[in-house]
Amino acid sequence: MTANDRANGTVRQAMPRVSMQFDRAVRIYAPEQELAARYDVEGVLCDTVRAVEQSVLWYTEGKGEEDLGVHHFRRFEAAAERAEAVPSGTVTVRLPASPLSYEGVIVKIRWCVRLRLFFATGRDFVSEHMFDLGHLAPARGLVERLV
Amino acid sequence: MRLPRFFGKKRGHRRTGSQAWGSIGEAVFYAALGGAGLGFAGLLLTGSLGVGADEKALPWARWWLWLFSMLIPGALLAFGIAGLVRIVRGWGKSEERQAAVEGLANLLGSMAPPEDGDRRPPGVPACDDLVNSPGTILRYRLPIESPESWTLVGMGLFAVLWNAVLVVLAVGAGLDLLSGRVEWVLLAVIVPFLIVGVAGVALFVRRLFLTTAVGTTQLEISDHPLLPGNSYGVLLAQGGSGTFESIALTLEVEEMASFRQGTDTRTERVIVWREVVKGWSGVQITPGVRFETHATITIPDGVMHSFASEHNAVRWRIVVSGRPERWAAFTRVFPLVVHPAVSDPQAKVRPLDTAAEVLP
Amino acid sequence: MITSARDPSVGNPFCTRHVRPGRLLSLDATGRPVDLAPLVSKLAAAGISAAVVGPHGSGKTTLLGHLADALEARCERVIRMRVGRARDAVKLLGAVAGARPGGIICVDGWERLGVAWAFVVRQSASAAGVRLLVTAHRAGPLPTLWECTTTPALLEAIVASLPGGGCGSIQEADVQEAFRAASGDIREALFLLYDTFEARARTARQASA
Repeated sequence: MTANDRANGTVRQAMPRVSMQFDRAVRIYAPEQELAARYDVEGVLCDTVRAVEQSVLWYTEGKGEEDLGVHHFRRFEAAAERAEAVPSGTVTVRLPASPLSYEGVIVKIRWCVRLRLFFATGRDFVSEHMFDLGHLAPARGLVERLV
Repeated sequence: MRLPRFFGKKRGHRRTGSQAWGSIGEAVFYAALGGAGLGFAGLLLTGSLGVGADEKALPWARWWLWLFSMLIPGALLAFGIAGLVRIVRGWGKSEERQAAVEGLANLLGSMAPPEDGDRRPPGVPACDDLVNSPGTILRYRLPIESPESWTLVGMGLFAVLWNAVLVVLAVGAGLDLLSGRVEWVLLAVIVPFLIVGVAGVALFVRRLFLTTAVGTTQLEISDHPLLPGNSYGVLLAQGGSGTFESIALTLEVEEMASFRQGTDTRTERVIVWREVVKGWSGVQITPGVRFETHATITIPDGVMHSFASEHNAVRWRIVVSGRPERWAAFTRVFPLVVHPAVSDPQAKVRPLDTAAEVLP
Repeated sequence: MITSARDPSVGNPFCTRHVRPGRLLSLDATGRPVDLAPLVSKLAAAGISAAVVGPHGSGKTTLLGHLADALEARCERVIRMRVGRARDAVKLLGAVAGARPGGIICVDGWERLGVAWAFVVRQSASAAGVRLLVTAHRAGPLPTLWECTTTPALLEAIVASLPGGGCGSIQEADVQEAFRAASGDIREALFLLYDTFEARARTARQASA
């Protein structure tokens, strides 16, 4: 990207890369345990970022419509706040007791830390980083399909 | 309340207008139906439409024609009221949630996803309706998932109402015959009414017989909600009469996922874990004396707790299945709620009631 | 766009997250992307109402969604609606009444309105100068803009487009069998492949444990 590009307003936003390090190497957390993660955003000019949202949430996956539950959410919009969130930031939260991560047959529950960057161009970029809440054994399999 | 939006990028479910406005439109429609019914009935009652009681003034008018005529405004009024009630009940809820609520009328209030302000673990359904009925021996009596009594009541109600109309028509036709008048149209109408009426009574009696013969199933439990790694006493009481080739008590985990397939909303349900807790064979039940027996269920360690969200669920349940000698097999389902394991190792699960300890 | 720190092959690529309408490209019977431009131009130029027709699970809803996006990108005024039951006709009439002349209402599930309500909505839209773009299982009074047909090649192309390319455990024979078992219903076939993938992943997990 050159100065001419900026002057002409033709700034092309390259795809950002987000790396996240959790305080636990295995990324398996017990219910009600504290989670701390540090992330770094590369390939982004900080002054092109309009806002940043951090969230810790669960969502369902499988054969049903996706449901979602947000446990932690924080938005950084003011310039002073954004400096806390880009190009690096931390997410610290006490996790709830449930729902636990679950590897079912047609219903699965996944937990993640989600980082969403909003750019001045109107585009946004989302990065998800998975972890497990609880350590349940996967469901063994289909026993019977009910009509 | 969101005003209809016709511009702007659509997000999420891509619904353009406010659901509230849609519901208001529907409410207006059903109110109009009900109003039309009332208006029509009013016109009939005042004789403005010429179908009235004054047969001398209008020799072609018959009392039974008047009766049938009242069915039309009656139906309009019923549709209008039913539609308005449905809209009020479903105000603010998604189609999928409404479908789920209508499917299990009695219990889904208790199995609904937790709402704000709840102290339950997040994502775990409430069990208020499962613990509001005390047991006679154990702590709680569990409600059944789809009580057959409602079907029986519905069938009985239909049979009574339909045959009441049939009786009125038949008596009227009889009186006409006695007075020397033969109403062929009325007699032709009575025939299908009679067929449906007799069939309705026959089906009701058969269902009543089956329910009585098989009897009710009651289940009590020593504690609720349940926790992984713990055991609980259950008391099974089965009524009915005759010999049951087998009765089985099973603990199951069901996953439920509802999804929109094009314009259909379909729900898939699978059992992902099942354990036969106890079984009995050759059980002889005398009318008035229930078969009562105790058993112990154990929720294994490290299992998934009960979970409910708008479109997905993980449900625990006890299933009682029986095979009477002379009747069709039956299955009765009793929902349970399993909470996530307590994280505090000092916290103890309440022990079984000493008065109701499970006997081998 | 979502990037994930987790290996994308871990999850089931056939879950609804990846296969629901709107997540997949609109492909034709040969498995190539449908060229939306001529369809959009045809709609815009003629100012007509039209229908996307095809059997169950043939991609009508997906194509309708992409056409609506393309129309919006051309600054057309688009309203999107889904019909579940005949009484949704009331909401649809409300949308027609509220739409500006020249606007388009995209209706998924047109046939659920029933003949009478469909006629009423069509006439109302025509009188209001509002166009309709609908999905239907068979051709009807509205001219057909596109007919969706399904083939094994289409299903193979869809599977190849999923995260992990459908993953190694699903072979071409599985895709063919799913297409046959689902009688050509792509959506049903994808759910069958979900079950197949799930069963094999579970077996592999248990074997390695």
